[in-house]
Amino acid sequence: MKEKDEFLKQMENLKVPEVNPNEHPQMVKMAIMNAGRSAALGVWLIVVPCYFLFCVFMYYFSHIRVGSSWFAAMFTLMASLDKTRYIDFLGPVIMVVLPIICIIINGLAITHVSVLRPGPDQSKVREFNITIKIRVWNILLILVSLAILGIFISYVMTENISISN
Amino acid sequence: MKLNWFTRKGIIYWPASIIGWVILVLALAYAIYTFIDIDSRSHSGSDTMINFVFNLLLIGLIYTVIAYFTEARKVD
Repeated sequence: MKEKDEFLKQMENLKVPEVNPNEHPQMVKMAIMNAGRSAALGVWLIVVPCYFLFCVFMYYFSHIRVGSSWFAAMFTLMASLDKTRYIDFLGPVIMVVLPIICIIINGLAITHVSVLRPGPDQSKVREFNITIKIRVWNILLILVSLAILGIFISYVMTENISISN
Repeated sequence: MKLNWFTRKGIIYWPASIIGWVILVLALAYAIYTFIDIDSRSHSGSDTMINFVFNLLLIGLIYTVIAYFTEARKVD
């Protein structure tokens, strides 16, 4: 009888682990594309416009004269590409299409998007979650691509303004 | 359709089958032809190199795009 009482007492004093049903469940956040493959292709996609811009910089620094500018050097090179038969489409493709593809594939490789319910008592509420994985190479490629696009857009705007004037 | 023509090591794709090797040899042959063609029309060594590197990078880009879609994918 005494053993039974002790047993019952022990059972009553047992600490039960607390489970919070509202706690957010762990989930695997899969990206749409493979980060390594996207980075490998991304490097090749932006190496051509980077080389092009490097040549423009070299052209500018080796042809220093009064009235010349970085944009003037770019005008000359882009104009020479435009005038060359069969490759007149190459300039915009290299400077716009390739960086945009690089941004898309690297963006898809580090981004995870999900629509969730915040809790079981909020059935009509939805949360839209965007998760960005910190992968240095993919983010770096996106930033370089954005810089190339920015340079090209500023070049086009400057060219249009100078032509209209 | 699953093609295993190339394998990736870093940012370089290496051939993993005969078709992959054929594509690599064709790319190299076209690069050599481009070099000879540019060299015959250029006025100086730097003129040749500037234009040839531009073409070489374009050939490398096209080769990488082909390899990207036909590489042997590892199961993680």
